[in-house]
Amino acid sequence: MGLDPIRYKPWKGQRTEHAKRFLVITDHVFRQKLRSKWLLGIIILGSILVWVFPILIFSLSPHDSLTTEMMLETLQNDLLFIFVLIAASLVCADLISEDLRGNSLVLYLYRALRPERYLLGKVLGAILVMSLFTLIPPIALGIAVMATQTGPDYAASAEVIARTLLAAAFTTIFFVPVGMMLSSLTTKRTYAAVGIFMFFFTMTIVAGIFSESDINWQLLGPGNLLNFWYDVIFGEPLPEGLSSAGMAMMTFILLVPPLIVTYRRILSKGVGK
Amino acid sequence: MNDTLRTGGQDDEAGGTAGTVSAKEVVMRYGKIMALDHLSMEIPTGIVGLLGPNGAGKSTFIKAVLGLVEPQTGTITVGGLDSRQNVLTIRDKVGYMPEHDCLVEVMTGVELVSYFGMISGMSKNDSIPRSHEVLDFVGIGEERYRPISSYSTGMKQRVKLAQAIVHDPDLLFLDEPTNGMDPLGREEMLDLIERIAAGHKSILVSSHILQDMERVCEHVIIINNGRAVAQGSLKNLLGAQEGRMKLVARGIPEDLASFVKYLEKEQKVISTSEEHGQVTVVLILRGPSGEIFAAAKNAGVQVRSLTSDLSTLEEVFIRSV
Repeated sequence: MGLDPIRYKPWKGQRTEHAKRFLVITDHVFRQKLRSKWLLGIIILGSILVWVFPILIFSLSPHDSLTTEMMLETLQNDLLFIFVLIAASLVCADLISEDLRGNSLVLYLYRALRPERYLLGKVLGAILVMSLFTLIPPIALGIAVMATQTGPDYAASAEVIARTLLAAAFTTIFFVPVGMMLSSLTTKRTYAAVGIFMFFFTMTIVAGIFSESDINWQLLGPGNLLNFWYDVIFGEPLPEGLSSAGMAMMTFILLVPPLIVTYRRILSKGVGK
Repeated sequence: MNDTLRTGGQDDEAGGTAGTVSAKEVVMRYGKIMALDHLSMEIPTGIVGLLGPNGAGKSTFIKAVLGLVEPQTGTITVGGLDSRQNVLTIRDKVGYMPEHDCLVEVMTGVELVSYFGMISGMSKNDSIPRSHEVLDFVGIGEERYRPISSYSTGMKQRVKLAQAIVHDPDLLFLDEPTNGMDPLGREEMLDLIERIAAGHKSILVSSHILQDMERVCEHVIIINNGRAVAQGSLKNLLGAQEGRMKLVARGIPEDLASFVKYLEKEQKVISTSEEHGQVTVVLILRGPSGEIFAAAKNAGVQVRSLTSDLSTLEEVFIRSV
């Protein structure tokens, strides 16, 4: 090491807009996650087990068009839920916990980047990575089935693809808020990863225990909740006795308060309190 | 909120000198604790030392300038811009090197510096060459391609400085920049700070190593209990007691004793010490120095030297707090 007698040179470039700088974080998260062998392994294995087989089976077997049943059968597969949960745990665990552990949060927040945009950058990055498993493959399935259909009703197939897009987008964002919250509550990514998995797993167990007394207990199970939303999105009836208000409330609880908690944590940690 | 684009390295439109900071009657409380107590100060261009004991309010002041905390009353302006209304514009002008570890250890040096350059508003095409430029400047060579987790403390300090200057801020906050560095590294860090300041930047350095501060600072602000208890140019602060001199004289003990007695009567003597037939007197002159030489001659004492005696920064600091 040692210093060369270099004069300090000013920089004369043009700055980007403040409002768009969170995209740098999104891009960074996406690239960093694609380097994770564990995550790539889960995405590849999950894609083969959950998506590749249905693509082959539905495409190769004779069919008139893409149907709601085909998509629901795939989306409501328990294996998909398990792989999405593992992927969400791996994607979200270190997004904030690592910045807390290394105290690097301050390097973001002293810059012209508001805490909400820091959070938005991280959330979008997580969503982008999750979409590799939860958004792109179902659309590919829909397109593959539509491309090999024998019937003339492409409009019906396109409608199912549109609904699939909506359902897949919902799946993509569903686990991220809780994942971010748990990542912001610890400085250890392992704790965060296990915490995310156990949070949803425990809720599934509790829902399973109590749902025999009342069907609305099923709403506690994130897998059940997702399946009910798929029914709504694809225009299928909900099970009898299931409260729509309860469903909306449970969805709200899983999506909004965790992001508020995360935001508050970033604010408090950002100023060193 | 003024979130407009700006060109790096230019003075702002508000008319103030880009990096100057002014705080007026700033009050900041955390519950019952008064972190900043009607703090007023002016930070000019150049290297400014921010001194104070632990808990004096230095970090709170820096956070208030950065808009990370909002004072209850008072105003802070950076280059003429209000810190409450122009948070983002001000932050574009500011670089911050925290005291504690803050680097993302899985990233390489060049990745980290260019990443934070982009978050500070640089395009990818600008940030990569610029990050190499600032890493060259701070003296990080091929190590820049290694993960930061493998760096020594001194190298981490340099990368912290690099991330703080990558976007060419007008105002730089350096919190304990020489922390954990060996003597050579410390000297190089101080040299870097001086080189940055040569580019007409305002650099606010907070450090407990007063020799370092004395070596690089042109201006010093001492904070205690949330108030600026002393501020001014280093030269003025160190020579605050005008006429303070150090006199060294030799002679036989009896003559020296009568000479010292004369000095105590006619001048303001601060301290006297005697060693091996030589007396050293620190005093404040009340008249022309010729009188002292005449009195020495009469007493049969040889004056070896009479020089102005500046305080050290440490003495000023201890007196102030």
